[in-house]
Formats: sequence, C-alpha cells, structure tokens
Amino acid sequence: MKTVAVIPAYNEQDRVVAAINDATAFVDAVVVVDDCSKDKTVELAKQTGAHVLRHIINRDQGAALQTGMDYALSRLGADVVVHFDADGQMAGSDIPAMIAPILAGEVDVTLGSRFLGKAVDIPTFRRLMLKVAIFFTFWTSGLVLTDTHNGFRALSKKAANAIRLRQDHKAHATEILDQIGTKRLSYREIPVTIRYNAETLAKGQKTSAMFRVASDVIKGKFIH
Amino acid sequence: MLFKIFLIVFAILVMIRVYKQYHAQKVSGSWFFFWMIFWVLVIFVAFAPQTTDLVASAVGVGRGADLIVYISLPIIFYSIFRLVVRQDQQNKELTDLVRKIALDNAEPPTEKKDAV
Repeated sequence: MKTVAVIPAYNEQDRVVAAINDATAFVDAVVVVDDCSKDKTVELAKQTGAHVLRHIINRDQGAALQTGMDYALSRLGADVVVHFDADGQMAGSDIPAMIAPILAGEVDVTLGSRFLGKAVDIPTFRRLMLKVAIFFTFWTSGLVLTDTHNGFRALSKKAANAIRLRQDHKAHATEILDQIGTKRLSYREIPVTIRYNAETLAKGQKTSAMFRVASDVIKGKFIH
Repeated sequence: MLFKIFLIVFAILVMIRVYKQYHAQKVSGSWFFFWMIFWVLVIFVAFAPQTTDLVASAVGVGRGADLIVYISLPIIFYSIFRLVVRQDQQNKELTDLVRKIALDNAEPPTEKKDAV
C-alpha cells in the first residue's frame, strides 16, 4: 500500500524543508504543492527529493491540497493520502498512527485532534474559538469531533477520490468534513501533537477569518 | 433644475458611449436596445417627473420616487447575486486551469538529494 503525503506550501522557505524531511521518513512519497510563493519555497523543496508542483497564481490552501491529491492519486497511484502542513506544526511521527486504521481497512478517513493529543502553547482565546467551531461543524456536517480545524488528515484512496474540494480558501477544512458526512465516509479522530510558536501563530488563521469561513460555508450550501 | 440638467446630460453621454460600444461590437444588439430604451426613459422622467407619480398611484404606491426605489432595489440585489455566482464560477474555472498547468508541469524528484 502506497502512502503519499501532500504538503501545500506558501512562503515557507524557513520551514518547508524540515517539514518535508519530517514527513518523508514515514511515507512512500511526498508531494509539495507550492501556491505561488514569493520566496524560495519551490527551489528548496526541489532539493529534498519531493515531487514539486507549482500554482502559477495563488489559489489558497484548499486548491493546493486538491492539486496535490489529484497528483498523488493519478500519477503516483496512492492508496493513502496524508495532508501535512509545511510550517512544521505537525509531527511526522504521528503519521503511522494516522494511517494505521486506514491500512487496516477500519475507516476511510482519520482526522488529527489536538484535544485528544497535545496542543502545545495554544492561546486560550483560540482554544475557545475552536470550541465554537466544533458546534458549527456539528450543525453543518453532522460530525461529532473534538477538533474541527485540524489540517492533519489521512484519507484512503476511496475517500480521496470521493472528496472534491470546491472551496479554495480556509473553508475547505469545513468542506472536507461536510463531504465526509454527505458521502457517509467512516472516520476516526487520532490524537496528534500540534506545535505552536510565535511564527506560526502570526502566520496562522486569524480569529476574524472564522467569520469568512462561516460565510464561505453557508454560501457554498446555496450556490453549489 | 440643476440636477435635471445633470441627469439629462449624463444620460445622453451614456447613450453615446453605449452606441460606440455597439458599433465596436462590444455589446450585443439586445443589450444596446435595452440600454437605449432605459436611458430614453430616464430622460423622459427627468423632463416629466410627475409621470412617475401617475404610475405609482396606478399600482398602489404613494410617490413616483418610492416606486423607483421599490423597483430598483430588488433588481440591484438580484444583479449582485448573479455577479457573485458568476464570479464564484470564474474563480473555480481559474483554479481548474491553474491546477492543470501545475499537473502538466509537475517535477518528480530526479534523484534523492541529501537533506538541506
């Protein structure tokens, strides 16, 4: 069974190499999708032995993930696809636990959870906002989760083919959960460690962006 | 009076511009016809605003100005909705195009490099 990690990256020249090397140790192939970075992310990624794709126009993380999944499934014949961040917040050592239930055929999707595992140095306000997001996700997708905005996921080939991201922006995270619900994919949460630091917090999703996510999710339900 | 003159001059200038665009084949015949009729009506209302009151009374609305607002707002909101939908669709088509280019130009690793 072939496991491929998909790493969307945007302006991560300081962290992407470490993230790629971290994931490489636990998967069969790594696919980096550069979302039109303005720095040396692409050049550095090419030196690591990863497959590198590049968006010539910035289309945001959801689009980059879908591009990576398309490549992993159609060109690399992936049986399991792992979503892994380029900023070093995720731990490659969590990948085996994430993919084990899928390799065993127990579930279609595994979702990382900071609240089953460790959320190191997460600000209190952000923790509170994540609790609000949990309720919103249950309301929109029917999924009961402890962590609704965790980008660490593993999908079986069946799930990766079934899920089609239409939301380019941050709402893709909610869209994935929606599609898990509507397509009746089996899922399980796995405790993972997410490391926060000043750099990743500054770059990470602003709390105010949650309103845009909510707007995109609601708009998506009416327009699509 | 000043506003009436401004409105009529503006309408005439727009009609000239619409005609030029039609002549340059930038707009279709139906759009040209529609906009010409629209701005002729604007000029007519500018000359005889009391006609809107007659129409408003006939449909049960108090004043002509109110009638214009009641008609305009739903049209404007619907137009905005259609623009949002179209923009959304175009965004998705753009993403599909960018994705195709990325997949066509994917760079697999030529050889395993040492970690940087």
